[in-house]
Amino acid sequence: MRIKLIGLLAVCCALALLAGCSQPSQGGGGAAPAKDAKGGRLFGVSYQTMNNPFFVELNDGMKEVIEAHGDRMVTLDAQYNSLKQKNDISDLVLQGATAIFLNPVNWEGVTGSLAQAKQKGIPVVVVDAPVKDADLVLCQVASDNLEAGRLAARKLAEVQPESKVVILHSSVNKACIDRVDGFKEEAAKHPGFTILDTQEGKGTTEAALPVMRDLLARFPECNAVFPINDPSAFGAISAIESAGKLGKVLVVTVDGSKEAVDVLKTGKLLSTSAQFPREIGRISAEKVYEHLDGKPVDKEVKIPVELVTRENADSFLANKAKGPSK
Amino acid sequence: MNAAKRMIPLIIAWIVLLILFRMKVHTFLARDNMIDLVQQISVNAIIACGMTYCILIGGIDLSVGAVLALVGTVTVSVLSMGDPTEQSILRLGLAICAGLGVAALFGLFNGFCAAKTKMPPFIITLGSMLVARGLALRINETPIRIPAQDSLFLAIGNARIGGIVPVPVIIMLVLLALGAVLLHRTRFGQHLYAIGGNREAARFTGIAVGRAELIVYILCAVLTGVAGMIHASQLYSAEPNSGQGFELNAIAAAVVGGTSFTGGVGTIPGMLLGAVIIGTLDKGLNQAGVHFSLQYILKGLVILAAVYMDVRRKRQA
Repeated sequence: MRIKLIGLLAVCCALALLAGCSQPSQGGGGAAPAKDAKGGRLFGVSYQTMNNPFFVELNDGMKEVIEAHGDRMVTLDAQYNSLKQKNDISDLVLQGATAIFLNPVNWEGVTGSLAQAKQKGIPVVVVDAPVKDADLVLCQVASDNLEAGRLAARKLAEVQPESKVVILHSSVNKACIDRVDGFKEEAAKHPGFTILDTQEGKGTTEAALPVMRDLLARFPECNAVFPINDPSAFGAISAIESAGKLGKVLVVTVDGSKEAVDVLKTGKLLSTSAQFPREIGRISAEKVYEHLDGKPVDKEVKIPVELVTRENADSFLANKAKGPSK
Repeated sequence: MNAAKRMIPLIIAWIVLLILFRMKVHTFLARDNMIDLVQQISVNAIIACGMTYCILIGGIDLSVGAVLALVGTVTVSVLSMGDPTEQSILRLGLAICAGLGVAALFGLFNGFCAAKTKMPPFIITLGSMLVARGLALRINETPIRIPAQDSLFLAIGNARIGGIVPVPVIIMLVLLALGAVLLHRTRFGQHLYAIGGNREAARFTGIAVGRAELIVYILCAVLTGVAGMIHASQLYSAEPNSGQGFELNAIAAAVVGGTSFTGGVGTIPGMLLGAVIIGTLDKGLNQAGVHFSLQYILKGLVILAAVYMDVRRKRQA
């Protein structure tokens, strides 16, 4: 009896797996090409998380290019777990992937994985967030985050030359550090600007809300805030709203998500410097193909950002998938 | 005997998995890929060894993930003290002792509370999990990079003996062998089964239940400490935020390997097989290109199936 049950379990296991394996990798839709070795080369992607629309869009852009070449792509989610990311990459390397795209959980911690890929001659393209050992990778593709910060400060200066600003930072993230640097660099050019304080907003709505509430209470003169991304901007806006200071405290941010564009239209948000995740994905994949064709590839590729305000909100959404207009 | 017989279905299930994945991925059974598989499960298997002891006596240790992060952070902090340009055996020794010492302290605390108070281990270790996580973040909020000249510490996670066998695999095999001997060949091991089977009865037969509990939690924490060092070394840095959910992976390995949640049943070889099966699933599903959403579902179903089997078997017995 016991043995029968066990056999049954093994069979169930096998069936579930077969069902799982024979399904084409899901995602962006469209007919996936054949999945076996004969179905083209294998490309692997490892993201720090897929619980973010930004990476989902980025992944779609990559998939577009790779499938257009008749190749296939495996997307893996590290769930912010660097050990899982290390294992995922090692699985891809040992399977003989043609190239690997990497969005690191820990920008210093992936050294071992990069060395392993390098040893096997597998090119690695880093997307969105940088890695410490730039010499071990083919290239790094990311938004021009410095410019994103500059654009935000410029817009603020245009609307309100005398700004007393607080910054909601996410200081462990290199991309956010760049945004704040860009913002400060531009702010220094405007004598009317004062930066009152910089606090941790952690880049999330729930963390930014209480921090912003405290800042508003501490600095009654505060009339502008720079939260480094859309989610923390939502937190800041709801703090401003509950303090009854809507319109008195202006908000400029970075990201350009659909949700933020909706808020732009209500006037609660002044601007968001939009990133183009789909474009980052596309360019990353194209860089790999250029490399495979034997062409030289730039070590660092910056994808332009674009200022979105109430005025261009609709046309931006309509054209976002196409990439930056420049 | 009986324990060995219980592993047969698991072995069959594993072989079925291997064959399936081999059909899908033609390099799956290649030597390098199989060595990598064992390497990938080493951290989990070492933690799961301690976890098996805890579950065996009817307890649980939820703090292992956080303790792993804390040990890594403490160890690497000590490593980066002093003159960073030169490797010092003394500092390395100090760092390892500090790391394992911290782990042992947490084990002592968990064990003491479990033995001397009426608090359930689930709650005790939930609390110490938060304390350990907080302490790790207190030491440093962001990852600390291991100084590049500490080649000995980096070797713990990354070197290969003879260019083939990874050091973490050796460490795991040695620890699991010792762990298996302790559980299956000593009187202490017998006592653990007795406590898990019936705590009060064990007490009446003169077993020092409290002392055994204390030792189990210390062992679990120290094993986690070793895993924490391998983990930090493999990642070239200590991450105060790492290890989240590791307790669940360890519990899964123990349970799939036949450890019963009600206590008193479970073996180290079984646990290792559980870890191997989960590792094989992870690797195989990755390499077969199964979408990550489907991977979670399949892993969940496998764990459910294993536990269901366990419960069925017990009812028949």
